[in-house]
Amino acid sequence: MGPKGKKGQAADKAKSGEVEREDPLQAVILADPFETRFNPFTLERPRCLLPLANTPLIEYTFEFLANAGVEEVFVYCGAHTDLVDDYVQRSKWSSLSSPFSKINTIHSTAQSIGDAMRDLDKKGILTGDFLLVYGDVVSNLPLESALAAHRARRAANKDAIMTMVLREAGTTHRTKAQGTCPVFVIDPRKDRCLHFEQMPNREHNKFLSIDPGLLSSYQELDVRQDLIDCGIDICTPDVLALWSDNFDFQAPRKGFLHSVLKDYDLNGKTIHTHIVTDHYAARVRNLHAYDSISKDIVSRWAYPLCPDSNLLRGQSYRLQKGNIYKEQGVILARSCIINRKTVIGRDTSVGEGSVISNSIIGRGCVIGRNVAIDGAYIWDNTRIGDGSSVKRAILASEVSVGRTCKVEPGALISYGVTISDGMTIGGDHRITRAKRRREKNEDVERGEPNIAIVGQGGDGFEYLDDEEEDEDEVVEGLTPTGLIYNLSSLALSTDSISTLNSNSESDISQEYTQRSASGSFVSIDSVESESGHAKHFDHDAASSIYDSLEAGHESANIQLELTSLRMSLNASEHQVRRAVAVAFVKRVSQVIKSGVEAKQAVAQVFDPHKSLLKRISFDKEEAAKVDQVDFLLLLQKELASREKGDIILLQASMKLYQMDVLQPEAVEQWWADAKATGTEALVNVRQKTQPFIEFLENQSEEDSEGESEEESELE
Amino acid sequence: MSRSTTIQAPGLSSYLKSLRSTPVEASIEHFISLLKRRQIRNSRPCALATTQLLIQVVKEFKGKDADKLLRRIRDVGRRLIAAQPREMVVGNIVRRVLGLIREIKDDDADADSNAVNSDAGSPTPHHDSLNRPHLASSISTFSPLRHGALPPMDTTSGPESLADSGELPHRPALFSSHTSYAPLGTSLFGLFSQPDTPSNTSTPTGRHSPTGKHTMTASALERIGESTILKRTNIKAEVLEGMNELQDELEQSDDQIAANALDHIHSNEIILTHTASTSVQKFLLAAAKKRKFTVVHAEAHPNDHDAVHATILTGKKRDAEVISEEAGDRWKPLTAAGITVVLIPDSHVFAIMARVNKVILATHSVLANGGLVAAAGARVIASAAKVHRTPVVVVTGVYKLSPVYPFDIDELIEYGDAGNVVPYDDGDFVDKVDVDNPLYDYVPPELVDLYVTNLGGHAPSYLYRIVADHYHPDDINLSGAVERDEK
Repeated sequence: MGPKGKKGQAADKAKSGEVEREDPLQAVILADPFETRFNPFTLERPRCLLPLANTPLIEYTFEFLANAGVEEVFVYCGAHTDLVDDYVQRSKWSSLSSPFSKINTIHSTAQSIGDAMRDLDKKGILTGDFLLVYGDVVSNLPLESALAAHRARRAANKDAIMTMVLREAGTTHRTKAQGTCPVFVIDPRKDRCLHFEQMPNREHNKFLSIDPGLLSSYQELDVRQDLIDCGIDICTPDVLALWSDNFDFQAPRKGFLHSVLKDYDLNGKTIHTHIVTDHYAARVRNLHAYDSISKDIVSRWAYPLCPDSNLLRGQSYRLQKGNIYKEQGVILARSCIINRKTVIGRDTSVGEGSVISNSIIGRGCVIGRNVAIDGAYIWDNTRIGDGSSVKRAILASEVSVGRTCKVEPGALISYGVTISDGMTIGGDHRITRAKRRREKNEDVERGEPNIAIVGQGGDGFEYLDDEEEDEDEVVEGLTPTGLIYNLSSLALSTDSISTLNSNSESDISQEYTQRSASGSFVSIDSVESESGHAKHFDHDAASSIYDSLEAGHESANIQLELTSLRMSLNASEHQVRRAVAVAFVKRVSQVIKSGVEAKQAVAQVFDPHKSLLKRISFDKEEAAKVDQVDFLLLLQKELASREKGDIILLQASMKLYQMDVLQPEAVEQWWADAKATGTEALVNVRQKTQPFIEFLENQSEEDSEGESEEESELE
Repeated sequence: MSRSTTIQAPGLSSYLKSLRSTPVEASIEHFISLLKRRQIRNSRPCALATTQLLIQVVKEFKGKDADKLLRRIRDVGRRLIAAQPREMVVGNIVRRVLGLIREIKDDDADADSNAVNSDAGSPTPHHDSLNRPHLASSISTFSPLRHGALPPMDTTSGPESLADSGELPHRPALFSSHTSYAPLGTSLFGLFSQPDTPSNTSTPTGRHSPTGKHTMTASALERIGESTILKRTNIKAEVLEGMNELQDELEQSDDQIAANALDHIHSNEIILTHTASTSVQKFLLAAAKKRKFTVVHAEAHPNDHDAVHATILTGKKRDAEVISEEAGDRWKPLTAAGITVVLIPDSHVFAIMARVNKVILATHSVLANGGLVAAAGARVIASAAKVHRTPVVVVTGVYKLSPVYPFDIDELIEYGDAGNVVPYDDGDFVDKVDVDNPLYDYVPPELVDLYVTNLGGHAPSYLYRIVADHYHPDDINLSGAVERDEK
């Protein structure tokens, strides 16, 4: 916390003010939001380098930070680190004349924003208050007032750890998030955010669960869903510490914000909002936002972030009447028509009789004769043959479209794809040449062209992403139908907002399709849980047990806490077991990571908590050991995704057996259970346990003859 | 300055502060990005920043070759202009500095050729316009008198100059002349005698015949190269001195303009003005010291109305720069001086025009044809004034005068944030309606009756002369000039 902690004391004020002036304002750009919403384009390029109005997205973010007077910038990269790194190195921002005194790219292997934040905490590079933004923020907000308000709050109360900057934007707005609808409950007198909920927009029954305590303890509450959450947070280092403490947080809003607000009684941290009513702020969070923010920029809503500000070196856009921006060296045929709200880059040529409207066309494109382009985004060096039409689609760089083709609204055509003459590309197609290898390093390789889609001589195939098959990402964005659908459901949502109920279930892991959920904590089966409260139990209980294990608390205390949590949240026994399984596994693997042998680690973690473990199953006397089998299943599932999971599973089951937590029948029943062999991972993880089972089988045969001795023999 | 400094967004004041400590190249890039981000905008901040930056550029400049310095300044100027071509003041300042360097260079050349050719040649009448720089050598480029020494125009503009020269004694002295401030008499003499007789005021300069001229200049140039090293070890110091004067001019121009106020504002007049211009406020305040009149202030919605409201209440724009703060006590609102101020919406201008005696407009920049680029709404006001035959007076510093002709009006006009017109919150509107928010209007010269500058009052049709006085013809097109030079 450094100097800021002292600010409350009046005597120190002047001095700490001095110190603070020395503190440069830092900012972290999350260049990779760990989402797949821009597939297939993000297979080959990182999202922050995709062009928005012919300028890479990250330029806008840098502009915004420079505008806000930020001095040190850390670009946190995920995928395509080298590309981002290379870009930043070559950009004007790392040159001598950059407004930033320091600009660093951070390489990482993080798989989610949560990992990234914890990584940042470990690195300890952020010393004072810092700005946390995404690499796709477009904003001309001056931040002085927000920063001043944040610092004033910090000075008064050091628990005010974060200020979110939100832009007011009416009930229906094209730039607002379409898929889900964030709802903020705010105490307007202190600008404090009390509750946050991400409402899925698709279903028609919408409920917001507010803690009744909030209603009774605050005279005034604002429940707002008219805010654009542009992902600009002013954070203190405490925020990072909180991320680290809660190792299961993945998403900054749904995970972090939601939980920190909910746990206010526990940690006492407050999060504030700064709502602005003028200036422009938005995030290019999906293709729909890409479309609307492009329009905003061309229509000068984001002024001075307009094409004719020529943010990049070497750009030379000039504005003409009707928001037409042309760079120098555009070649237009005499009879072509350029309509309103169009941007055309350098060395692009447009043939006779072509009509272009509401479109953004990059540099070096060749557009043939009698081409109709409307509402399309065409990146650099693209060729479009004579007589083709492109409507409301995105064509990436180096795409080549043949003659008399038709690209229908909503189509996405990625880098280097070739479409041969006379083809029609439907609106639901996403065509790419790159295929993601399923291996770790997310590399891409070229796939075989699919002639049915791109035609004879074409190159490219339909992009399929199994991770998000069920989400209607395909229509999201450019197609008119998607928009209308979203808007109508959005309008419905406003009516039902105040209904107090707790059916806010499916919000985890819907909005943020993490690239990999394997590192996640709650991810196992959290969909099964019965109610909103119960869901909270999952994460609360797991983290509380884990904390206790780490701190070495007594078994009885953990037990007490667990029981009270269970009672207060009405959780099921199954959930208790899950929480226990998750926490123990997490702890064990942590101990193993610190260099302890698996066996010792298991003993170290499990031994002191015999009573706790015994209290999670209630079927000792019954023949069908449902509870114990359940526990083993949970253990197995949890371990399936972990390093050395197989060894831990073997050791843990042996240990539990020794401790008399598990009865041999239970283990055998588990072994026979169909659920335990459901997936390949599950099978793999229990392979090493095979000898133990065999031993048990022998043992039970002996058992019929004589009791005991098993403990010594197990060693 | 407490900790507020850390969270201050970049702007003019922070830029000026940073100038001394940062390397020049970084400062240039910094200024370019501030211009692009519109964090430095409007004429006065741009002019101040440009001047300060160019001072640093000159200071940093190594070597004593005037031509290299010219090229350097021009390069920097081109980059600045490309960053935000609609802030024409940036270009103006660059051209002024270039003119200054040329003048000093020519002085050198004169001195040099004096030394070399003191006994050579007989005086030849020099009608050749190429001689002009030499002719003007003894007179400051910035002297208002210099227009008298402009050969190409002399025959046609005789009466005008005459009429204008009548005002000369009243004009405030611009500079504490380091260059010889031409004595009035000789200058006037030169004015009349110049077309047919060689001016005896100017040092005997271009005595070479027109035919031998080029070779002469070439050889002279070579010698300049040597002799400047020998004699003028300090071209830089002179240029810097000139630039400091330029800076003084920027700072004083409002007061100098205001000195004319009593000639234009009379008792019990009703004056209509527009936008929160410092120049206009000072002008009105100066008049308010002696006379009582009424001011009708159009509020300039939606881009400037906040500043207008603040000006009426406190006499100062809310976001006024730190620079002007030392003048704290001068920032009284007009109402404190006993003036009735009436705030009207822009739409009422025509209705109220019938009762207005005079319109006083501020300007963004003034063009060479006598037209001006001013805050949006100015043209409506000027047109309404024309209908009612109300005189329109434009108050401007000479530094806003650009050698640009409005061939393409769209190029001159900046379109601003559409959100000022319709709130961005209105989703339906944003989605379905195209909103334009032009920040400036072009007012053609026929709608303007008089310009009041720090040099005095001028008719719009006369501005081209002032342009010719202040900018060297080679500098007018900065990008073109390079090509010509490099041949």
